[in-house]
Amino acid sequence: MSEHRIELTLNGDRHQATVEGRKTLCDFLRADMGCTGVHIGCEHGVCGACTVIVDGLAVRSCLMLAVQVDGCEVTTVEGLTGSDGALHPVQQALRDEHGLQCGFCTPGIVMTLAALTQASGQTYADSLLEAMSGHVCRCTGYQGIRRAALELAASTEPNKA
Amino acid sequence: MSDDRIIGKRMPRKEDARLLTGRGTFVDDVVLPGMLHVAFVRSTIARGRIRSLDVSQARDLPGVLAVLTAEDLDPFNVKLLSFFFVAPMAVPVPLLARHTVAHVGEPVAMVVAQDRYIAEDAASLVTVVYEEEEPVVSLADARRSAPIHAGMESNVAAVMGLEKDENLEEALASAPYLLTRTVRHQRISQSPMETRGVVATKQGDELLIYVTCQSPHLVSRYVSLALDRPELSVRIIAKDVGGAFGLKNHPWREEMSVIVGSVLLGRPLKWIEDRWENLVAANQAREQEMTVRVAFDRTGKLLASHCDYHLNNGAYPQGAEANIAVQMFIWAAYKIPQFGFLTRGWHTNTIGNGAYRGPWGMESLARETLLDIAARELGIDPIEIRRRNLITAADQPCTTLMGMPLEDITPAECLDKLLEVVDIPAFRAEQSAARMAGRHTGLGLAVYIEPTGAAGQMAPMTGETAHLRIEPTGKVTALMSTHSQGHGTQSTMAQVIADQLGVAYEDVTVFEGDSSRGGFGPGAAGSRQGVIGGGACRRAAALLKDKVKRVAAHILEADPDKVSLESGRVVVAGAADKTRTLRQIAEIAYGEPARLPPGTESGLEAQYRYDPPPVTFTSAAHACVVEIDADTGFVKIKRWVSCEDCGTIINPAIVEGQIAGGLAQAIGCVLLEEAGYDARGNPLAVTYKDYLLPAISDVPDFEYLHACTPSKSEGGFRGVGEGGAIIGPPTLINAIADALAPFGEVPLDLPLTPVKILEVIEGRSLRGTNGTTTATTQQEVGCPAPSAPQAPPAAPVVSSAGIIDGSWNMVLATPMGPQKVVGRFTTEGEVLKGVLESDQGSQDFSGTVTGNRLKWEMKVTKPIPITLKYDLSVEGGKLAGKLKMGLFGSANVTGARA
Amino acid sequence: MKPAPFDYYRPRSVAQACQLLAEAAGCAAVLAGGQTLMPLLALRMSQPLVIVDINKIDALTGVTGVSQGIRIGPVVRQNEIIANEVLRRSLPVLVSATRHVGHHQTRNRGTLGGSIALGEPAAELPAAAVALGAAIEVRSIRGTRRIPADEMYLAPYATALESDELITAIEFPDWPGHSVPLFREVARRPGDFALVGLVGMLTIESGRISRVGVTWFGMGPTPMKARRAEAALQGQSVAGLDIQGIAELAIVDTAAFDDRHASAEYRRTVGRRIFAQSLREALDVREAA
Repeated sequence: MSEHRIELTLNGDRHQATVEGRKTLCDFLRADMGCTGVHIGCEHGVCGACTVIVDGLAVRSCLMLAVQVDGCEVTTVEGLTGSDGALHPVQQALRDEHGLQCGFCTPGIVMTLAALTQASGQTYADSLLEAMSGHVCRCTGYQGIRRAALELAASTEPNKA
Repeated sequence: MSDDRIIGKRMPRKEDARLLTGRGTFVDDVVLPGMLHVAFVRSTIARGRIRSLDVSQARDLPGVLAVLTAEDLDPFNVKLLSFFFVAPMAVPVPLLARHTVAHVGEPVAMVVAQDRYIAEDAASLVTVVYEEEEPVVSLADARRSAPIHAGMESNVAAVMGLEKDENLEEALASAPYLLTRTVRHQRISQSPMETRGVVATKQGDELLIYVTCQSPHLVSRYVSLALDRPELSVRIIAKDVGGAFGLKNHPWREEMSVIVGSVLLGRPLKWIEDRWENLVAANQAREQEMTVRVAFDRTGKLLASHCDYHLNNGAYPQGAEANIAVQMFIWAAYKIPQFGFLTRGWHTNTIGNGAYRGPWGMESLARETLLDIAARELGIDPIEIRRRNLITAADQPCTTLMGMPLEDITPAECLDKLLEVVDIPAFRAEQSAARMAGRHTGLGLAVYIEPTGAAGQMAPMTGETAHLRIEPTGKVTALMSTHSQGHGTQSTMAQVIADQLGVAYEDVTVFEGDSSRGGFGPGAAGSRQGVIGGGACRRAAALLKDKVKRVAAHILEADPDKVSLESGRVVVAGAADKTRTLRQIAEIAYGEPARLPPGTESGLEAQYRYDPPPVTFTSAAHACVVEIDADTGFVKIKRWVSCEDCGTIINPAIVEGQIAGGLAQAIGCVLLEEAGYDARGNPLAVTYKDYLLPAISDVPDFEYLHACTPSKSEGGFRGVGEGGAIIGPPTLINAIADALAPFGEVPLDLPLTPVKILEVIEGRSLRGTNGTTTATTQQEVGCPAPSAPQAPPAAPVVSSAGIIDGSWNMVLATPMGPQKVVGRFTTEGEVLKGVLESDQGSQDFSGTVTGNRLKWEMKVTKPIPITLKYDLSVEGGKLAGKLKMGLFGSANVTGARA
Repeated sequence: MKPAPFDYYRPRSVAQACQLLAEAAGCAAVLAGGQTLMPLLALRMSQPLVIVDINKIDALTGVTGVSQGIRIGPVVRQNEIIANEVLRRSLPVLVSATRHVGHHQTRNRGTLGGSIALGEPAAELPAAAVALGAAIEVRSIRGTRRIPADEMYLAPYATALESDELITAIEFPDWPGHSVPLFREVARRPGDFALVGLVGMLTIESGRISRVGVTWFGMGPTPMKARRAEAALQGQSVAGLDIQGIAELAIVDTAAFDDRHASAEYRRTVGRRIFAQSLREALDVREAA
């Protein structure tokens, strides 16, 4: 089985590592990089708990191999909070709207919303809600998640910038 | 409620800061030096003998430390107890399978390796040769098949209510209107987003276990009892738990295997269940059938009812279960003169039954859907039929047929409040117009009561403890016996405490999740933490507040009655110069004991274990509106209104979150979820592609009304955790049935898939094989027939004293599982005297003896006041007979000489 | 759920990739988006000895116009298809179909080629390729060949690809700019398996249907070309079309099956309806235009 040297930028810091070919990105981030905020809910790409941002796009880290992020920029939930500890607007919106209970699915949802709202221009409620269909939450019934998504969409409207 | 009260406010949660930023600590986040990883080898067949098990190739794989089997773990003699701390008598549960396997996914061997990848590689190298046997899979199979477990007479795992009540049968037969329906509920996987998992390590005589669970204290007690190693100190830690819903009440086979494995190997071991394992091998719930007969008079008044209930227990249930709670609650909120039941749990070659949010939910499901059907058939408004039968405030206090006292249930009042915002006539007008346009909308409602906050009647259901201290800094610390898996108890308990002590919410820190802190509590089981934990916080805070007042009054030379605590300060009425911060008083209380009132313990610490009334009922009424696409059979939920009476609300956002979560699971139950098996016992839904969990598009925006009738328990709280999952399904089914009423009746056969719904619309079967099965008419094997009392056999010549007197080890098959008691009998002629001794104490009795037959009665108060009637015989040196437990029916009794 | 061991390669050129596939002699799997392959690896339902990751081969990306058609690289991401201006203009039905594939997050990685190569019976993109008359360009060390989409799919998850072949492009022929798209998917939620669906295009000239292609998904072991319905529509005048009759013909060319999610008869019943509705809508649209 092959082993590979990789270099990546993770949450703004440059790292190097040696990984087995078969090691998944989520296992690499959790075990090798200490990003335990990346949660493993299903390991087959349905629940979305493991979502991270790779080169600007929200992806399911259980469906990528670690070796595939060689040369990439990866952001996990740990990379969203400001250095002063301030919550990212997505995190704040979820908090304000009581969008979490056990918190296990939460980092994945945070990363999808962060990826979509950091893209330039307006973020439409439709696209945020559609992206939320790629996340499973067993606790909240999605009520606060929906409200947070709508609030985030409203806050990116041009006249509210 | 004044604006500065913290109770009743949507305070932001304390948990959120860490959970939103990925800084929670779930069990898989725990890493210990030298930790090894576990993977299980699991049975690929549903039933059979293990002919050979070869672990040699696996053991030789580099990176593998050990491959353990039953042989290695059995010497630890672990007892896998039920939630009620009772060891299964009839069907002991092994850790790893020994010579037989009884369901697909059963753990057969345990690989320990340096990482999970290698452990799985090794697991695939273990060779098991099975001799396959015919599996028993469905309830119908179980009824007609020979027992799957050796030594049992049938597949009946538990049974209650065997005696036929002739009066009831007469009432049903002669009723002006008798409705009979069979309700089928599919098997459900609790499926919390975080699977099971454990990290265990033995450090000298200390067992340190991290496990995702519903109560570290309960797990600690469980592990101690299961291992029976009193010299070991057991500490359980669970900081963050990613949901549980009944799955994680207590450890089961894999968790205990890992714990024992860590002791055996002397290394920290971690096992994290993957989702495939969770869907295949973790205990599931809810596979039930119930045939309900309900008799009404022509005005829709209830006359009598009988339920024949079956629950698939699987091969190794977490406690053999006939789900008696269904019978206790089905008609509890309604006035009904007569009721009877027969309830049976069945063993099959499937994964065992465990708890799931509102395990007795079939009671509301069956009742509320049948009431609507009756209303339709009798031509009565569905609200009217409920109003004619519901217990209202004016009817209370009263006692249900099953012996439960009711004094403050409010389902009728919740219904009234609900109807203030749900305009039924307006909906009916819209519905007519929509129907003319070819659109099918429907409205459904349901009403229920739920027992919450139960304590004091069953072993694990204790009170809850709050250990509070005002630190020398003036901040407040609480160690709670409560435990959150998303419930937000760190926040709600802080709200109660802050409210009572007049401090800022931010200044209260709540610690949970470590069995070394706080005291015993069963955690989130039965919607109880708000009620009981809240009560404990109030009582402990009251003690502390009283002490602060006395101490401050003494130090400040004031009248204690004039001292109050507000905004983190101690204030003396009419003496503004005497205001002090809580910190100033606390510093003195800890650091200058000489300044305290004589005889006062220094410091500011108080503890209270609160025992609430035996049960606190929560009531609710829900309504929902659906639209059904006649082309596809898809159901769209347009509106859902919940009116809950959960008493005094601590945090409305948290209450609403609990209701919403339960309702989402209800929607999943009715429309999407199904964990089934094929005829060979292979699970059909092994990934989330097949086990469909509700997504955001499946749930509407819920509307909430709160009827807040304070309960009798401290603080007036009522539980709300399970309600949505219980009342949700019938609300939705009734809406679907209302929408499809012009086409026909909707089968009570969950889940209501698009195929089943389209069948009602099309008026024909859309399935190749006959989809719904009618109740089996085949001979039921081995199930004891309901028996009429028999005349005792002719008295033998041998004296009764010789046969009966002495000590007997007896086993009573009660709803809580088999109970061991020791009976000591003395006979004098026809008089029987004796005492029954058990772990719960002893009780004297006297009764009668006739030949080899002994009968007596005893009054007990737990779980509810009932009279127990024993009717036993001694034959061939063995004791056997029945124990009649009021309306609980009868339980079998067996015994052998001690 | 961890994958079994394999050797991982990430070639930089098509030639290198083909060489690796040839050497692996049937024991290799091609990794594109990974949205389907990774779960199979995790469940150990697929245990290739070699993984050939094609994500960094530039020649496999890009959307380019070619003579009388559009050429799309297999590694083009599904979200890139949705955002692509050229495709939105010239192949709107491909864009519509792609919107229904999985979820936003899976479409960020999932590729056109991956879906085309997998041949899932309920998938949108293989059916779209068949309906629109696409051709799949395929290469190995033995050379290049083109497989017409309607010869590609043999059985569930079984295609005409040899184990050492790599998809290098999917070419869609041009359809006249005024052609009308047909797309309808019956799925309970976004991203669910389609219970039944149809995709296609039709072109109307002077009141007659001059060109038509319609294919079912979720109605058989492979995408099911509604040949009889196409034949019945071809050349017909739009006025007075027996839409119900043509929907019946469309059902004849299906092999609907029972599975966990729906029954065969459900699929036929609903399929018949959505075919008629889609056709009616398509013709109304045209008439309105």
